[in-house]
Amino acid sequence: MIGGLFIYNHKGEVLISRVYRDDIGRNAVDAFRVNVIHARQQVRSPVTNIARTSFFHVKRSNIWLAAVTKQNVNAAMVFEFLYKMCDVMAAYFGKISEENIKNNFVLIYELLDEILDFGYPQNSETGALKTFITQQGIKSQTKEEQSQITSQVTGQIGWRREGIKYRRNELFLDVLESVNLLMSPQGQVLSAHVSGRVVMKSYLSGMPECKFGMNDKIVIEKQGKGTADETSKRCLSGKQSIAIDDCTFHQCVRLSKFDSERSISFIPPDGEFELMRYRTTKDIILPFRVIPLVREVGRTKLEVKVVIKSNFKPSLLAQKIEVRIPTPLNTSGVQVICMKGKAKYKASENAIVWKIKRMAGMKESQISAEIELLPTNDKKKWARPPISMNFEVPFAPSGLKVRYLKVFEPKLNYSDHDVIKWVRYIGRSGIYETRC
Amino acid sequence: MPYLGSEDVVKELKKALCNPHIQADRLRYRNVIQRVIRYMTQGLDMSGVFMEMVKASATVDIVQKKLVYLYMCTYAPLKPDLALLAINTLCKDCSDPNPMVRGLALRSMCSLRMPGVQEYIQQPILNGLRDKASYVRRVAVLGCAKMHNLHGDSEVDGALVNELYSLLRDQDPIVVVNCLRSLEEILKQEGGVVINKPIAHHLLNRMSKLDQWGQAEVLNFLLRYQPRSEEELFDILNLLDSFLKSSSPGVVMGATKLFLILAKMFPHVQTDVLVRVKGPLLAACSSESRELCFVALCHVRQILHSLPGHFSSHYKKFFCSYSEPHYIKLQKVEVLCELVNDENVQQVLEELRGYCTDVSADFAQAAIFAIGAEKREQRGDKKSLGDCCQVSPTKILHCRCAATKRVPHIWLPCGIARTYTDQCVQILTELLGLRQEHITTVVVQTFRDLVWLCPQCTEAVCQALPGCEENIQDSEGKQALIWLLGVHGERIPNAPYVLEDFVENVKSETFPAVKMELLTALLRLFLSRPAECQDMLGRLLYYCIEEEKDMAVRDRGLFYYRLLLVGIDEVKRILCSPKSDPTLGLLEDPAERPVNSWASDFNTLVPVYGKAHWATISKCQGAERCDPELPKTSSFAASGPLIPEENKERVQELPDSGALMLVPNRQLTADYFEKTWLSLKVAHQQVLPWRGEFHPDTLQMALQVVNIQTIAMSRAGSRPWKAYLSAQDDTGCLFLTELLLEPGNSEMQISVKQNEARTETLNSFISVLETVIGTIEEIKS
Repeated sequence: MIGGLFIYNHKGEVLISRVYRDDIGRNAVDAFRVNVIHARQQVRSPVTNIARTSFFHVKRSNIWLAAVTKQNVNAAMVFEFLYKMCDVMAAYFGKISEENIKNNFVLIYELLDEILDFGYPQNSETGALKTFITQQGIKSQTKEEQSQITSQVTGQIGWRREGIKYRRNELFLDVLESVNLLMSPQGQVLSAHVSGRVVMKSYLSGMPECKFGMNDKIVIEKQGKGTADETSKRCLSGKQSIAIDDCTFHQCVRLSKFDSERSISFIPPDGEFELMRYRTTKDIILPFRVIPLVREVGRTKLEVKVVIKSNFKPSLLAQKIEVRIPTPLNTSGVQVICMKGKAKYKASENAIVWKIKRMAGMKESQISAEIELLPTNDKKKWARPPISMNFEVPFAPSGLKVRYLKVFEPKLNYSDHDVIKWVRYIGRSGIYETRC
Repeated sequence: MPYLGSEDVVKELKKALCNPHIQADRLRYRNVIQRVIRYMTQGLDMSGVFMEMVKASATVDIVQKKLVYLYMCTYAPLKPDLALLAINTLCKDCSDPNPMVRGLALRSMCSLRMPGVQEYIQQPILNGLRDKASYVRRVAVLGCAKMHNLHGDSEVDGALVNELYSLLRDQDPIVVVNCLRSLEEILKQEGGVVINKPIAHHLLNRMSKLDQWGQAEVLNFLLRYQPRSEEELFDILNLLDSFLKSSSPGVVMGATKLFLILAKMFPHVQTDVLVRVKGPLLAACSSESRELCFVALCHVRQILHSLPGHFSSHYKKFFCSYSEPHYIKLQKVEVLCELVNDENVQQVLEELRGYCTDVSADFAQAAIFAIGAEKREQRGDKKSLGDCCQVSPTKILHCRCAATKRVPHIWLPCGIARTYTDQCVQILTELLGLRQEHITTVVVQTFRDLVWLCPQCTEAVCQALPGCEENIQDSEGKQALIWLLGVHGERIPNAPYVLEDFVENVKSETFPAVKMELLTALLRLFLSRPAECQDMLGRLLYYCIEEEKDMAVRDRGLFYYRLLLVGIDEVKRILCSPKSDPTLGLLEDPAERPVNSWASDFNTLVPVYGKAHWATISKCQGAERCDPELPKTSSFAASGPLIPEENKERVQELPDSGALMLVPNRQLTADYFEKTWLSLKVAHQQVLPWRGEFHPDTLQMALQVVNIQTIAMSRAGSRPWKAYLSAQDDTGCLFLTELLLEPGNSEMQISVKQNEARTETLNSFISVLETVIGTIEEIKS
């Protein structure tokens, strides 16, 4: 149970404050500001106890969201709720920033009213919420809309209302992955994993039954054993299958069917939702390899050479590549030479930032830098933080492929072929670090 | 709360709200109302425009309505009379054809926190419970709980409760969950909502229809259901199996807890469950949501207490990444040192060594402590002091006990360092080579603890020490170094010279603790190497006695001086008697804790805060503590030092067992006590068996644990022996007690007086007292 919810800007000014329970006083708002936002030292825990009141906070850019309670609650649940709150807000007005929050503050109060009642989470599906939120003001509702509210909230399926109609039945599938890597200076993978999400945006009429298929190892082995139709076998022979460590699904997926047949079937919510979330650790395609070489020349000079190699099909292009090479605190000057892209020494961040707009697969690029150091009597050795990388690639580093997404709507007269389907793969870097 | 200049703002807004031109223009009107809400958010007192806002509630514009209702809910307690004016509009809205308006009005009306509103909301709530739109039913169901909260201690309305129980079968999943929540609050006094077999099975069947919040909540309620047979138990577990793999970590943890609790008689099932949630937990630990990751790590640590090898093969998952936030790194380091085994020790130590040179000094120090020591939550200073007292009074001076350390935790070498001492000492020694202040001081402190508990590493430590005195500036580090030099000085060739430097600079030393340590260490070293130390010991003693301003240091100096006068043999006997025994209860390696000891804490705040911290939080919280369904046997860890473990739980459980809640720190003056004592009649008299001698301090401390204060007490051994005690509960009722031991009698006579005659609290008070005295009696025998 959540006693109150506060939103602050980076200075600690209250942007939104909503109290649900009597046991949370107005001074709670100030207590959090003084003890956490204005505290000198680093945040020691996302859960803070001040005067026997627990404050759970998350930060989005420079906005603080804090949920407050006096009860012994489930911490995981409270954080999930805060994330959900962020998602819902983002679905309404995009990025969570001070300006957006100030501009939409009526909307946020409206949302807070619907999502929580007496501190208990109520309906939090963005789609379902839309009916209750009068975002653009004086909209007196028609009879039809009123009956929609009733049917939506009494219907058996909480996430989809009946009677949705689209002229064009269309769906978009996004496979979004973030690849994480920790590599030793010798090029040995210390840990690597991909956490991915399949996000679906559907504009389908009626109550469509969908079936989603991917190159999951278990399914493909199963099909290999049972003599399924030859065509599917043939088209799979070239492709690899992947081992998924664990995966979780949106509420709409029938888990019993997944457990028994490993097939993913569901009636999707209208609009955008996250169909599944998964994690893999085996056979990850690491899109980039970073080879660092740091040489200390005397006490006042450092030579750094970093080679990056792209490791994917030459026909594909990686974008927004950024390599961050940390420099010691006592750096006085830096000379950089790079073959491709632009590199700059940013003194405020203590790093050389090397940006490349685009890079094709199976290419190699290099940067070398000479770093001049101020002589110091500080005996402190430079800790050599790792070199980190950011990028975006148009494939899934886990190797996941969407094999099919079939749509059946028995009551309305459109078939699977009439639905326009789009699939997109985006692989981004999570924490992608190479120690040097 | 009111900021400067708020009067002007209120005046201006009031004017705007009254302006008929603005009222006529919907958008402008709404903008003004928005401004009111904005100021309210910022903390300005906006109650001045209440009347105008009430007027604004009569509108067809839903947004405006919502804003005004929000305003009214905030200020209604300040302006109850004006708020009543709004009730009319609200009541009318409750029968609006639009279910959204009905719901909104009902919700707002129930949230008006003011006296007298109950009579108006009762009927709308009852209507709402039978509304055809589930949106309204959801609101109405929670409205019942709000109404009950307003009444305070009023009677529970039986008909309403029955209606809510029947609504548990509602079609709408959120109504069902709200019903549970509402019943829980209404029936709090009676132990919350009753989950019997039909309800439990009904809920189990509805589980898959609920959203994640509902699922988590229901899993929590199901904890209190006791399956009748083994068969039913396993049926339930099978039904809930899929929730162990839910997409929501909160549900996964809730399901795990339910499995652990339901299967408390089947350890193999518990182990199996923990194996199965390994995947989801690891996924949460490496998720991008930092905060969830933190919570998951806390729970991983909890599991590791019982199953130390559980995550060992996944140790790489807990390697820190450079850009992770501080709090995750600290948790990961602790997890790492708990899952070390023979196979991964090399890699883990290698990794930890990397962290020791981290830019963040804080994190670096944590990593060093992790290599040499295992963090153990402090059980309270009293406890450790108590332990020392028990061994021998002089030990207080020499035993390195936690009470003198300022760090909030005791770091004890039991984890990695106990088993892999050589590797750890080697790494720590290498770190000294970096000659950095913040590293050296922590390493030396770690050495001190290591030598104390793992004497086999003394040789290596002694070789590493020379030279580090140059890099230590802080008090903790100095104390540790001086202690090491004193105790093991005979093996460190330059020990006297290092100490000599300290003696030279003693005048400019700011920390008394360092001076104390120096005195003790030098005296010890004098015993083993008299020729080199005699002169400077003399100088130091002279300084401490003649020039030192700190009383404690001076007294210590005098004490040693007199001790030396008695003769060197006597000094040796006292100073070098067996050292504090590592097998003392405080230091014992915690045996693997059974899963059942923490299952009830799983998925609560206890693993997040740590048990000890939680105990201090919840102790004061007392009556308002939630989760009455959780068996709270072990969460009260505040310690009475001398009470054995099994009795401790009994004693501490008592204060919250009945309605009685004794308030801590309610010290009465002796005068006031005497006056009250004489003016009251004895409410209760009782005799308890009592044999032989005991320590009055023990009794006093034990009583303190349950918040009973001792006003006066006879000396130990005197007959008749008397003690006067006082306590006060949260309602202000005073309990005054006399304990009397007659000479030659083997009974203790207890007389209790009370300033308000209430038998039920008196009885619970007496049972608390009995337990404490019974416990002391048991310890004696």
